[in-house]
Amino acid sequence: MEDQRQENRVQWRGVCRWVGVIIFVWALIVPFGAMAQHPLVGKVTDQGGQALVGASVVVQGTPLGTATDEGGQYALVGLEKDATLVFRMVGYKSQVFQYTGQTELDVVLETDAGNLDEVIVVGFGTQQKSNLTGAVDQISGVQLESRPVSNIMQGLQGVSPGLNITYGNGSPGEIPNINIRGTTSINGGSPLIVIDGIPVSDTYDMIRLSPNDIASYTVLRDASSAAIYGARAAYGVILITTKQGRQGTQSISYNLTTAFGRPTEMPDPVTDPYIFSRVLENSTLNTPWNGPSYVQFSEAYYQWAKERSEDPSLPDVRLNPNNPNEWEYMGNNNWNDYFFKKATVSQSHNLALSGGATIDEKPLSYYLSADYTKDNGLNKLAEDYWQRKGIRGRLTFSPLKWLKLDNNMNVYQTDIAKPYASITDIYYLQPTNVVKNPDGTWGNNAAGRLAARLVDGGNNNEHMFGFQNIFNAVGTFFNGDLTVTGDASFKREYWRYPRHSKKYKIGYGPDDIREEGGNGFVYDRRGEIQNNVFNLYANYNKTLGIHDFSLTAGYNQEDYLWETTIAQRDQLISSTLPYLELTTGEARVNAEYSSYATQSVFGRLNYTINGRYILEGTGRYDGSSRFPSSNRWGFFPSISGAWIVSNEPFFDALKPAFSNLKLRASYGSLGNQNVGDFSYIQTMGTDLSGYLIDGAQRQIVTGAPSLTINPANYTWENVATINFGADVGLVNDRVFAGFDYFIRETTGMLVAGEQLPAVLGTGVPNQNSADLRGQGWELSLTYRDNFTLAAKPLRLETKLVLSDSRAHITKFKNDQRLVSQYFEGYEFGTLYGLVGDGFFQSTDEIDALDQTAIIPWGALDIVPGWPKFKDIDGDGKIELGQTVDDMKDRAIIGNTADRYRLGFNLNADWNGFDAQVFLQGVLMRDYYPRHYLFWGPYQQPYANVYPWHLDHYRATDDTPEQRAKHSQAYLDAGLADANLDASYPVLQSWLADYNYLDGNGDRSGLDQPNTTYLLNGAYLRVKNITVGYSLPHETVKRWGMSRLRFFVTGENIFEFSEVKRFVDPEAINWGTDSSAWAYPFQRRFAFGLNIGF
Amino acid sequence: MKRYSILFVVGLAVTAVSCQKDFLDRYPQTSVTPEVFFNTEEDLALYVNGMLSLSGHGMYLSDQSTDNLATTAAVEVKNIMTGNPSSQNVSGGWLWGRLRTINYFLENYERAAVTDEVKNHYAGLGRYYRAIFYHDKVKRFSDVPWYSGTLNPGDEELFKAQDPRDVVMDNVMADLEFAMANVREDVPTGTPGKWAVAAMAAKIARYEGIYRKYHPELELQSTADDFLEKAVTIAEQIMAEGVFRIHNTGNPASDYADLFGNQDLSGNDEMILVNSFDQTKNRSGNQNTGIFGNYEQSPARDLVQAYLMADGTRFTDQPGYETLGFVEEFENRDPRLAQTIVYPGWQRAQDNAPYVQFLAKNFSGYHQLKGYVNSTDQVLLNSTDVPVHRYAEVLLILAEVKAELGTLTQTDIDNTVNLLRNRVGMPSLDLAAANANPDPVLMAKYPNVSGSNVGVILEIRRERRVEFAFEDTRYDDLMCWHAGKLLETIPNGMYFSGVGDYDLTGDGVPDIRLIPEGQTIPAERERNSLGVQLVYYTIGTIGGGASVYLENGVNGGFLVTDDRQRTFIEPKYYYRPVPNSETILNTNLYQLFDWE
Repeated sequence: MEDQRQENRVQWRGVCRWVGVIIFVWALIVPFGAMAQHPLVGKVTDQGGQALVGASVVVQGTPLGTATDEGGQYALVGLEKDATLVFRMVGYKSQVFQYTGQTELDVVLETDAGNLDEVIVVGFGTQQKSNLTGAVDQISGVQLESRPVSNIMQGLQGVSPGLNITYGNGSPGEIPNINIRGTTSINGGSPLIVIDGIPVSDTYDMIRLSPNDIASYTVLRDASSAAIYGARAAYGVILITTKQGRQGTQSISYNLTTAFGRPTEMPDPVTDPYIFSRVLENSTLNTPWNGPSYVQFSEAYYQWAKERSEDPSLPDVRLNPNNPNEWEYMGNNNWNDYFFKKATVSQSHNLALSGGATIDEKPLSYYLSADYTKDNGLNKLAEDYWQRKGIRGRLTFSPLKWLKLDNNMNVYQTDIAKPYASITDIYYLQPTNVVKNPDGTWGNNAAGRLAARLVDGGNNNEHMFGFQNIFNAVGTFFNGDLTVTGDASFKREYWRYPRHSKKYKIGYGPDDIREEGGNGFVYDRRGEIQNNVFNLYANYNKTLGIHDFSLTAGYNQEDYLWETTIAQRDQLISSTLPYLELTTGEARVNAEYSSYATQSVFGRLNYTINGRYILEGTGRYDGSSRFPSSNRWGFFPSISGAWIVSNEPFFDALKPAFSNLKLRASYGSLGNQNVGDFSYIQTMGTDLSGYLIDGAQRQIVTGAPSLTINPANYTWENVATINFGADVGLVNDRVFAGFDYFIRETTGMLVAGEQLPAVLGTGVPNQNSADLRGQGWELSLTYRDNFTLAAKPLRLETKLVLSDSRAHITKFKNDQRLVSQYFEGYEFGTLYGLVGDGFFQSTDEIDALDQTAIIPWGALDIVPGWPKFKDIDGDGKIELGQTVDDMKDRAIIGNTADRYRLGFNLNADWNGFDAQVFLQGVLMRDYYPRHYLFWGPYQQPYANVYPWHLDHYRATDDTPEQRAKHSQAYLDAGLADANLDASYPVLQSWLADYNYLDGNGDRSGLDQPNTTYLLNGAYLRVKNITVGYSLPHETVKRWGMSRLRFFVTGENIFEFSEVKRFVDPEAINWGTDSSAWAYPFQRRFAFGLNIGF
Repeated sequence: MKRYSILFVVGLAVTAVSCQKDFLDRYPQTSVTPEVFFNTEEDLALYVNGMLSLSGHGMYLSDQSTDNLATTAAVEVKNIMTGNPSSQNVSGGWLWGRLRTINYFLENYERAAVTDEVKNHYAGLGRYYRAIFYHDKVKRFSDVPWYSGTLNPGDEELFKAQDPRDVVMDNVMADLEFAMANVREDVPTGTPGKWAVAAMAAKIARYEGIYRKYHPELELQSTADDFLEKAVTIAEQIMAEGVFRIHNTGNPASDYADLFGNQDLSGNDEMILVNSFDQTKNRSGNQNTGIFGNYEQSPARDLVQAYLMADGTRFTDQPGYETLGFVEEFENRDPRLAQTIVYPGWQRAQDNAPYVQFLAKNFSGYHQLKGYVNSTDQVLLNSTDVPVHRYAEVLLILAEVKAELGTLTQTDIDNTVNLLRNRVGMPSLDLAAANANPDPVLMAKYPNVSGSNVGVILEIRRERRVEFAFEDTRYDDLMCWHAGKLLETIPNGMYFSGVGDYDLTGDGVPDIRLIPEGQTIPAERERNSLGVQLVYYTIGTIGGGASVYLENGVNGGFLVTDDRQRTFIEPKYYYRPVPNSETILNTNLYQLFDWE
């Protein structure tokens, strides 16, 4: 049946294609009559009389249009009598005029905090904001232009309600986690990014755009607004529209930003060698592993540590008295200072030329831009940067009155340079390490090795060159009632990942310098992306009396291919020549391949009655290559409606104080194809054997195919969203509020089927069998007003964005309701743990409560000062229950999900001065710390000791003999004295061991979350403060400029956070273990320049 | 106008829409679908090479579970003896992924368009791997479910009970018989051929035979001899073939050590199967830090005492052997001792003076030498080959099994044990003399050995311990000999008579000074007659503040490594429980010997 249908389609296409080509060419060459032409000029101002820059002037139903220049002036030619002129500007109400042949027309626009007349880019079309029925937010590109961000993702963080952008670390070129409305699916799911109407393959594409080139960002949150994008839009859509040239104004603008960055909050360890060493060794003395395996310093070592502690001018390297052939170290270093820069310089330049003209009375506009951004990292010893070079050229031309062609070309290159070694290894380094020996060789310790690897150990770079051309044709018919749009996008990217590792030399002793670092190798991975997208759709609008119809129907197809080849060979002939050909090892070649394709037809009908009642329906029929042909196609409908209450006659009494009220509701169901490209096909992997077979590593097949899925019942995950919204305008729309509430049901998530005995020998096949429900709300509150201050207009705009979401599992096969798995009713982020009850004070207390079940490795001794927990079930034992119904002493102690995400933006300008303050934060989140950066020696006795660890429980004072050995700093810190009223428990290594799981897979000791050390992970960050000054238009005009603005700006300036005491508040997003093991974030201070001609 | 536009729409639509029929059909290009595989001999080789599994340098650490080593590591058997083991917390070993890989091959190889000889060779290798897989399972669980094919969800077989040990072992032996009959002699180096298969078969038959003989709880004693006789047959076949011989170049001080730190063992006549390492070919590995440093293991004094004197007499017959210090202990011993454990006067590659044993809490003071690569050259360090099967084991299997069967002759001993003794210049073992005078120390260790061959069986057991020290045979030996009780003894270390100065390098000049707990090490440490400062240690009893623990504290004794009581419950601890979670999923599974 399926085959038959496809056959028919193919035949139909074959016949029609040639006919179509012929007709198309013919249509293009048919001449049309010339138009009358009269020039029209004027000025657009606000109510205060201040010129509005960049207001758009559009002739309805035609491609004609322009925008105001820096003085608020515009000019239009080629107008026909009775043409309808629309003047628009973000933040102002639109004005419509009938052209009567006049030569001059000045226009005053009124403030509108709700931007109700704004044209919103929606899927395959545009809509006036007042007509929207879904949860949609649009952000103007201008908002990000002056921030010292190197890419738009940094700029969008916190800007739009429900758009969650989470950074886990601050490395240059880092791609954050992006989602809309919180937890999407067990299998993950991110929004679809659409740039100029073309869906892109992944979020990486966003980093290729210069913030300066963007006209607007639109975020489609609910199913009804995203539905038209189908299978890839199940978790929302971000539409990005780039700038176009404007008729009538020629402009050249140049923007420069120079930023100085340094690390934000870094964990600063104890550097005193005596304190560090003694505390580290003490941490093992209370454990069964108190031998030399981990820490055992000799008396002589402590003597030296004491001398160095008391007189840091003494040398930190000496020959080992027991072995004069080797160096011995006693540093007192804070490695953050050695490895990270205090002021790294980053730059961005952007040059844009845009304008428009008429050729043969036909309008042509252009936008050309070039951008260069270099984002330097913090690594002091090696090259560490991300950079982008981009050129964008956009040419819009109407060869025929009814036809507009737009060619949008983007050529870009991004590069990442970094050393082969990872700079975050710095977190392992102990203060007693010394980086260099007296003879200049690298020290025989972790710091020496890391420095050697960063400086001499080779690079790990990434270069990408890409080219994308989007050709777009719009035909306008029936006086603008019908438009037919075709988009064809052709994208090619060439990736290259050259990587090489080189040997380095470590000085073990004065005459013992050894080469380390394996053989050294050169690795070259080259990849190619081919991504083609084709859209064809028609929009038809018709008004019949009080009935407005708007119909969209179209077709979309997309294909994607990613192929790489990897060549690798080891053993460099010379360390100075890390090139593939100059190696002598065995050559290896590997390849990678992935591909997918989708095909869809879609339609949307919008019906408005009397400007008050709006009803919209969308349907999409999607096919995806990621499913077997039997389950490949799915139909996904949505419906939405709105009631503009304020347009009802009875509402007039409330205006203008209560100027606007709209109620919205929508429901939609979308398929999600976010699964592996070839998951349904059984395959066997290939690899190189780890063994030498006949003297070399040979290609092998790695084993039997796994039972990944059952092709018979493998299909789409379904995402259904119900959304309720309200838009409220107050005080003549000076204050505007938007509110949305949603419930998002994700059903049929692909998860492992029912657990089977291990003799199966492989994982249980996945099934579409789990469900999840997310719900939440978003609020945005805007206030916009004009005042007069010292006889000059003061414009003020503030916007508050606040959102929340929670997600629960509603279906999951877990009959025993084990807490180790998902279960029905589970809330994402739920933190299970023990309730702290201070420390054990006596052996009687220890005997009274059996905590042996939570001893890490089952081997530590419970002694006074050990953390004590509440015996919730009162059975005299602390145990971790395995099931939801029998939790024993486990309790829900918090939730680690981000709640109440906030963004607050304040913009003001007055008399040429402008200022922006932007705050971003997460207002509720629990965080239980794990890993070295918090627990230090409690985790492993080779970690750093941090200042907070010094306040640990000590049962007794040291003896006078022991005190005699201690350094003064150690005594001064009180470390030789008993400390019964401590913040941290008795110092036992492995008490917080992250690596140990008990037989049930549960964490033990302090690694098991507990309320005592639970932190508030919420933060509020002053993301940006900008102050700028633009010289008066009249002044710069004399210099031949239209604009000259200077600004200073700071990014990540300050934060309010409890976690900040330990690490950067955003670093706890790093990794799945929340270890904060992150590349540092940067505080940046920048100054910049905008010049316009 | 209207006409144009409609035609335009139609035209544009059909022009652009792809007419590719299979636009939505995409297939992987970097992995193989089974349908197009298993056709040629190359396909079979690719798959079989993917199943290769050889022991690596980790072998030198694996005696941590035995009386050969003291360890601070958390090894399973130690945890069982000191804790409260149950199927909840002893949950390892029940892994079946490898069997699926093997059985998948055995279900598909016959599709290849190749001769039966080719098919049978590769099938033989598949069955060889299956035999090893199941033998490992039997060693741990005794009864395990036997599966000869892959399983799928929905198969009732997933929920079957274990098959009895004798059924499983008969299948294992059948697999090995097939493999021995069909696997080629000439195979790529580094992979098992006919003789590696045979050596493994001899090893498994010997293990099972001896295990059944000494483990009455299985009630399989009557079948023990069948396996022992199979072991004899196979071992004799390997010996008769004459392909292998003991590596003996006439240098008793180094021929044995040559086998363990060697860059290239491929040409060594003693090697039946080698795991090759070569950093320059991207195959690196060494265990230097685990073996030698003070990380997690140190040789036990009990092992040092097991070595004979160089003249063939027993060390444990020496008067006062229990109170000999490190230097004296190493005098006039079986040369294999100094090739296995660091001896007084040994020097590290990077030092220009003999190594002074580093003493530390919980460590024995002895340092392991076997498997340690004494070099500072990184390429060399990472490129030593590991002997997987060596001919010496075949010889000792024959000797032991014949001794157990009661068919051992002096000629057999000369052809086996004495070849090994001869390599290191040790006097020959005499059958009659050994049986006439069994070692009382060994008799105490293995009280269940009986019959006329007691003396020689005990000497062969000594020979196995010495010859294969730190080569991952000791634990299996203790298990099949029913000698788990020996694990209750906490390994101890070097002997010191108390406070005072000691020579550890064998030159008669003191190197270390032991002072009583509580005394302070002086800032200016005393120098010995060579002008080298003494290394100071404070001594005391375990748990105190001293830097080294001695049996009697300041009054001396051997170095103490641990003091937690160890209890080996028989026969329970010879077996491991099926993980609790599995018995819940499949209620037909049962636990053996009081495990729950």
